[in-house]
Amino acid sequence: MENLHIEATKYTPEIDLNAEKNMLHFSGKSYPENTFDFYQPIIAWISAYFQEETKRETVVEMDIIYFNSSSSKLFFDLFDILEEARQNGQKITVHWLYDAENENALEAGEDFKEDFESLDFELIEK
Amino acid sequence: MKSSQDHLIDELQNFMDGDLERFQALGKKIIKDFKRQQRIMEQSDRRQRQEYDQLQEKLLEVKALNLEIEETQKEVVFTMGAIGESRSKETGNHVKRVAGYSKILALASGMDETEAEMLKQASPMHDIGKVTIPDAILNKPGKLDAQEFEKMKEHAVLGYEMLKHSNRALLQMAATVAHEHHEKYDGSGYPRGLKGEAIHIYGRITAIADVFDALGSNRIYKKAWEDERIFALFRSERGKHFDPVLVDLFFNHINEILLVRDAYRDIFNQSNQSGTAL
Ligand SMILES: [Fe+2]
Ligand SMILES: [Fe+2]
Repeated sequence: MENLHIEATKYTPEIDLNAEKNMLHFSGKSYPENTFDFYQPIIAWISAYFQEETKRETVVEMDIIYFNSSSSKLFFDLFDILEEARQNGQKITVHWLYDAENENALEAGEDFKEDFESLDFELIEK
Repeated sequence: MKSSQDHLIDELQNFMDGDLERFQALGKKIIKDFKRQQRIMEQSDRRQRQEYDQLQEKLLEVKALNLEIEETQKEVVFTMGAIGESRSKETGNHVKRVAGYSKILALASGMDETEAEMLKQASPMHDIGKVTIPDAILNKPGKLDAQEFEKMKEHAVLGYEMLKHSNRALLQMAATVAHEHHEKYDGSGYPRGLKGEAIHIYGRITAIADVFDALGSNRIYKKAWEDERIFALFRSERGKHFDPVLVDLFFNHINEILLVRDAYRDIFNQSNQSGTAL
C-alpha cells in the first residue's frame, strides 16, 4: 500500500506512515482546528494497513510534545486499533518518546500504557 | 400517551430482549468511552491550570522585563545627555530641568503624552556632540574667538551624526534635537540656518528649554540671570530666536516650568546633585 506522509504545521504533527518499513511515526504538536477531520485519513490508513493479511512487526513511534484533548481522544482510538490488530496476531511495539522536562508528555504516556496493557508499550526518554 | 422517555425505555428493552450479547458489548464500549472522556477531561483540566499558571508567571516576567528595558533606556539616554553636559561643566540637574521644560512645552503645543514623554527623554541629549569638542574650547573661561566658535558649533552636526544611525524612535528624535537645537526661528541659527516651521518642533522646543535653563544657571564665566531679565529677553526674541507660539506657551505655563526648576535646583557647596558620578 502507498505510504502516507504529512508535513508538520504549526498545529499538527509530522506524520509518516510507512508500509515498507512497517513504521508509523508521529512527531510534534497536535492541536488541530478540527482534530477529527485531520486524523480521519490517518486512522483510515492505519485500519487498512492492519487489515492486510501480511504478518509483520510494526513500530509505532509517538513523539508528541503537546496535544489537545481531542487529540488525546484520537490517540485512544488509535491504540484501540492497535490493540485489536494485536489480538489478530500482529506484532506491534509502541515507542512513546518524551523529553525529561515535559512532565505532561510523560504522564500521558504512562496513562496510555496503563490503559492498553496488552500492547508492548515503551516509554523512552529522549 | 407515552412520553418520549417511555419510548426510549421500550426501545432499550426491545434491544436487550433481542440481542443481549450485542447489547452488553455496546454497553461496555460506551462505559469505557465515558470513563476515557472523563479522564481526558481531568487531564486537560490539570494541564490547563498548569498552563494558565505558567502564562501568568511569564506575563509578569515580560512586564518586569519591559519595565527593565524602559528604565535602562531612560538611564542610558539620560546618562548620554549628562556626559555631553558634563564636558562643559553642566550639572546633571541641567538635563533633568531641560527634560522637564521640554515635556511641558510639548504637551502645551498639542503633542500626546507618549510623544511628549519621548521628547522629555530625548531632549537631554541635545549636547551629546560636545564630547568631541576639545576641552580648551569647551571650558574656555573667556569669549571664544571666531575659529573656536566655528569648532564649537560643530557639536550640533556631530551629535546628529552620532545618533542618526539608530532605528529607535527615541534616538531618531534625539538626533533631530541635537541637530536643530541651535537653529533660530528667524533663520539666523546654525548649523543649517533653518527658518520657522522648517525647524522641527522638537528642535524649537529644546532650544527654548535649553536657553531658559542656561541663562538661569550659574556658570564659571557668568552669574545666573534674574528671571525678569530672562523673561524680557524671551519677549524680545519672540519670533527671532524662538518660535513665537512656543514663547506664548512658555509664559502660559511659567508656573509649571518654575516648579520643575525648583524640583531640580542646583545645590552648590554640596556634593554634586547629578547622581551620575560623571
Ligand atoms: Fe548645544
Ligand atoms: Fe544644554
